[in-house]
Amino acid sequence: MAAVQDSAMAVGRGAQARPAAQGRFAALWTKHGAGYMFLLPWLVGFFGLTLGPAVASLYLSFTSFDLIRSPEWVGAANYVRIATADPKFAASLKVTFLYVVLSVPFKLAFALLVAILLNRGIKGLTVYRAIFYLPSLLGGSVAIAVLWRQLFAGDGLINSLLAQVGIEGPSWISHPDYSIWTLVVLSVWQFGSPMIIFLAGLRQIPTDMYEAASLDGASKFRQFYKITLPLLTPVIFFNAVVQTIEAFKAFTPAFIISGGTGGPINSTLFYTLYLYQEAFGNFRMGYASALAWILVLIIGLFTAFSFLTSRYWVHYDD
Amino acid sequence: MTMRMTRRNVLAGGAALLSYSVLASSALSQEARLRLLWWGSQARADRTNKVNQLFQSANTNVAINGEFLGWSDYWPRLATQVAGRNAPDIIQMDYRYIVEYARRGALAPLNDYLGSVLKVDDFDQVQIEGGSVDGKLYGVSLGANSATMLVNVAAFEEAGIELPTPSTTWDDMARIGAEITKAGKRKGFFGLADGSGVEPLLENWLRQRGKALFTADGKIAYDANDAAEWFAMWAAMREAKACVPPDIQALDQFNVETSPLSLGKSATSYAHSNQLVAYQGINKDKLALSNHPLIGKGAKGGHYRKPSMFFSVSAQTKDPELGAKYVNFFVTDPKAAEILGVERGVPESKAVREGLAPTLDELGRAALDYVSGLGPLAGALPPPPPSGAGEAELALRTVAEQVGFGQLDVKQGGETLVNEVTQILSRG
Repeated sequence: MAAVQDSAMAVGRGAQARPAAQGRFAALWTKHGAGYMFLLPWLVGFFGLTLGPAVASLYLSFTSFDLIRSPEWVGAANYVRIATADPKFAASLKVTFLYVVLSVPFKLAFALLVAILLNRGIKGLTVYRAIFYLPSLLGGSVAIAVLWRQLFAGDGLINSLLAQVGIEGPSWISHPDYSIWTLVVLSVWQFGSPMIIFLAGLRQIPTDMYEAASLDGASKFRQFYKITLPLLTPVIFFNAVVQTIEAFKAFTPAFIISGGTGGPINSTLFYTLYLYQEAFGNFRMGYASALAWILVLIIGLFTAFSFLTSRYWVHYDD
Repeated sequence: MTMRMTRRNVLAGGAALLSYSVLASSALSQEARLRLLWWGSQARADRTNKVNQLFQSANTNVAINGEFLGWSDYWPRLATQVAGRNAPDIIQMDYRYIVEYARRGALAPLNDYLGSVLKVDDFDQVQIEGGSVDGKLYGVSLGANSATMLVNVAAFEEAGIELPTPSTTWDDMARIGAEITKAGKRKGFFGLADGSGVEPLLENWLRQRGKALFTADGKIAYDANDAAEWFAMWAAMREAKACVPPDIQALDQFNVETSPLSLGKSATSYAHSNQLVAYQGINKDKLALSNHPLIGKGAKGGHYRKPSMFFSVSAQTKDPELGAKYVNFFVTDPKAAEILGVERGVPESKAVREGLAPTLDELGRAALDYVSGLGPLAGALPPPPPSGAGEAELALRTVAEQVGFGQLDVKQGGETLVNEVTQILSRG
């Protein structure tokens, strides 16, 4: 009993010894505590599920790790192999670049077109907006990838339609010359999220500019070219960066449509799919980690390049 | 949209929480739990779950949690669970992977339980050896199967062509395939599936020539000329429209649902005998099993009986003896055998096989007769494939497509394949 009292007093004394420090902490806590509590779920997620694994994968990229035995340090061997002796790395990079270069411009152009059509003050805009946005919510899903396979297979809906006009189409999805295009079409079909952003951007453009331009006799096309496009460049820039990153990271459609093989003849072997094959198909987690870091680097370079060139074509109002 | 706390909401939520906790605690109060992971179709899952119930009713202190996936999703899942020290207690294992998993210390050796808990005395000795690595038993075979050519009986009858026999050669098949295509009884329908990228089919063909896919020490066991001849045989059949065109064949993801046979594109396909149950399940036309064609008159068959799959016990399990007990129940209990049939292959235990035979339906009977009737067509079990074999299989598929779509001629195809496989195997 006495011991308990003693220690309680000791705690009390300790507390008195550092009143200033505690006071400061308490003050900080009162000021920011609630904020941090609200941030907590995100902080836990960021450190535990994003930053932690990212750091771990950086370490693993310098090891040979088969998931079962402990990782074994191999220095830069993985990176050396990627750079010098991996034909599939080059093949998958080529497929991915092709996909980015094809899908991003088409998707942005289509999204802008739909946004302009929707911006003409039609009735029931919110309904249309929701309907057009729907594919973006569904498009990345497994179910849509399976559906796509059905549509573009040998006797799928697309070929049935083509047969009506006398064209006998190949099995688009499983032909090395066309399979990447079916994935590009799938990507363009998910134009919803850039469209919403374009729509918001279009609404920011002051209408008096168009009024002035019409009074001066500028055609609709000229108005689009001289007013809409320049004032929309910050939004175009934003969409281009986001969609490029998304395109580099695309995985599900290729995985489902090719059954995880990246076939036929590696024509749908996205970089992420090759990474997945190495990690979980061939149990080379170290090598796959190195591949992942190279992808981070590539995306980083692309984004940096976009920002550097942006000063020459992006116009900010202020 | 706002959510308001009402008395009713709170009560309903509370009731739900309560029932969850009751459910959870009832599961926790069991003395022992076994987690089980396997790959396969819904038909397999139904059978497995019934056997689990049977085992639990005989062992009321055990709770079994079963989970299943498709073949290609199964291996990533298993590898990550083993790496995360969260491996299932009972692991369905394949001949392709058992050496890697055993040597990496992921599986528990079962020799201590032989004769006591695990009674496999009347198993075919070769199949026991198939589940052994470095002299220790790591996997108990769940049944024997062999590679097979599936035949759509109705399509053959429509075209007025007799079914292949054990002495049918590849030359015969090329002719038969072209005739079925020419008969044109169905739209967009061809005689054969294009098997040029199907590894077990190539293996069978190589074995008939006295070669193999891999040597015992994990090297490639055929040369560029063999491969070129193989591709040439298929190129001729493609030319003659005996088999499906390459863009149709490329739809095949090497599973039951996407094979040209199941898609209604061809009258044959290549599979393993125990898969007849799953294939017939999704095909309306009657299917039959046939051995792979011969390379010439009087050639010896390239078949072999192999353990279709194993049950292994995880090295991480708390109670390996219970695991062994469950595996023993699965392969020796007569009631379990009746539920399982031959869906995982023909049972290895002689007693179980004899007890099972009269209870089988026509389909099960056909699979059993096929495996036991191979006779001289079947040879010795090859050594387990080396690590990298999975990658080599994908390489064969890719090169076969390159030849099929005309990117490589057959000679280049042969050289490319042998080069790639050699490189893959040397990397391990």
